[in-house]
Amino acid sequence: MPKVAGIDIGSAFTKAVVVSDAAGAAAVVGRAAVRTGVDLEKAAADSLAMALADAGSPRESVDYIATTGFGRSSVSFRDLQVTEITSGARGARRLFPQATAVLDIGSQCTRAITLTEAGKVRGFKTNDKCAAGSGSFIVRAAKYLQIELGEVGEIALRAENPQPISSICAVLAESEIINHVSAGVSVEDILSGIYDSLAERASMLLKRAGMGPDLVLIGGVARQRGMVRALENRLKVPVSVPADCEYTCALGAALLGLKRLQTQLSVAACRS
Amino acid sequence: MRFAAGVDVGSTQTKAVIMEDTGGGGPRLVARALVDTGANVQKAAEHGFLAACREAAIPAQEVGFVVGTGYGRYKITFGNAQMTEITCHARGASFLCPGTRTVIDMGGQDSKAISIGAKGEVLDFVMNDKCAAGTGRFLANAADVMGISLDEVGSLSLQGKHPVKITTVCTVFVESDILSYLAQGKKAEDILNGVHLAIARRTVSLARRVPIEPQISLTGGVARNLGMVRALEQVLGATLQVNAEAHFTGAIGAALFALEKMDQSSESAIGRPAHA
Repeated sequence: MPKVAGIDIGSAFTKAVVVSDAAGAAAVVGRAAVRTGVDLEKAAADSLAMALADAGSPRESVDYIATTGFGRSSVSFRDLQVTEITSGARGARRLFPQATAVLDIGSQCTRAITLTEAGKVRGFKTNDKCAAGSGSFIVRAAKYLQIELGEVGEIALRAENPQPISSICAVLAESEIINHVSAGVSVEDILSGIYDSLAERASMLLKRAGMGPDLVLIGGVARQRGMVRALENRLKVPVSVPADCEYTCALGAALLGLKRLQTQLSVAACRS
Repeated sequence: MRFAAGVDVGSTQTKAVIMEDTGGGGPRLVARALVDTGANVQKAAEHGFLAACREAAIPAQEVGFVVGTGYGRYKITFGNAQMTEITCHARGASFLCPGTRTVIDMGGQDSKAISIGAKGEVLDFVMNDKCAAGTGRFLANAADVMGISLDEVGSLSLQGKHPVKITTVCTVFVESDILSYLAQGKKAEDILNGVHLAIARRTVSLARRVPIEPQISLTGGVARNLGMVRALEQVLGATLQVNAEAHFTGAIGAALFALEKMDQSSESAIGRPAHA
């Protein structure tokens, strides 16, 4: 019963999942997330140790480790590294087998991925030049408005008259937020406007990538219901969100690692 | 009436100056004031103007004409006219540094380059107000991440001998770059030097969209940062003129127009804000 770990070293958080392959049906047995900080190898090791503790498994039980995310190549104990495009597509497809498009809103980078019928990556577009349209936009707004990040999405749902945020720059948008606050605009309406602005950027990326009808939203921002609603309003399609949305890329990496491990094992079996 | 004022309501700071028509001696800068714009643009304009009047030791009613400029110019309730910051910066730069043909202005939240003709007229301009790269905001953010005061980043940058490579110009992304260089044990001065050069490259590539002709003046709040001046000169391969009053260029330009308009107009100084 091989165990495989997938570690997604993102710019803000590092997520690890441990997958166990029992009777050909891979299942997640442990997961954990830590702040990435500046030591990427340490973040990967810490998240893995916590995910193993969550699974109740010793380190030796892991046969294979696959990394993904921006810090994937900084982890010396990896067996395999895959891009977050590949792992995000694999993870989303595993959770929603009908998915034809994946939107991954991360802390610093937003990725729009389209899939073939077989679940392979058909194309993708990312905003990797600047933080406009990424989760850090929401983090900065929440910090300024002194709202817990976990509450932002719920508060935005109560907006009555969303105020557009026109800036595309996450930093200059702060000034717009300040102006709205001083003009007496409600926090609900401001936050809702921020989600609309993010949804607009995301829909542009999706259109350029050639979006399909079945969209899955992954990444930590997917937890925020205000974001999901803003996307649905703009795209006019339902958006599926996995229960453990922030672990989707780590799961995808683990599944790709498992496949690689099984191939190696069967090749070894043929040779012996 | 001998006095006129220019009020430049910027996104971050409001600059106000009082200028005097000395007759034969030409216009003279008699007072200046600097206040944070904050959220109440209208109040910032009033405070800036009154502070400049106090500095000049004249009552507000003595100011014959007020021209407002900058992004908040339409919110000035006591002004006689508004003009764009492009026009005012061109005028102010020609006054402070005669012979200026190109103005590079780095403000709190935007940056621009203005091409000026031989007679001081605006020929062309480009502006970046969509993103914080190349603005004071970028430097303020970098200073914040490093825990260094904004006033010190320029002089520290000058001490950098081996600038780190900064490939992004995004104010948010550069935070991660800075943190990882700090984790690698790079010196603050080398990191800041890299940051200043990255911003200089970005600003110069913007400025190259108008013809860059000597002589080149740097204006705006960032002009006080000597590290930025040197980084821009290094990337441009040219010398920059930086007047001691460069921060007030837009307000000075506005006040110069105000002096002219005062001559042409018989309008009295009504509706000036009262001293608080």
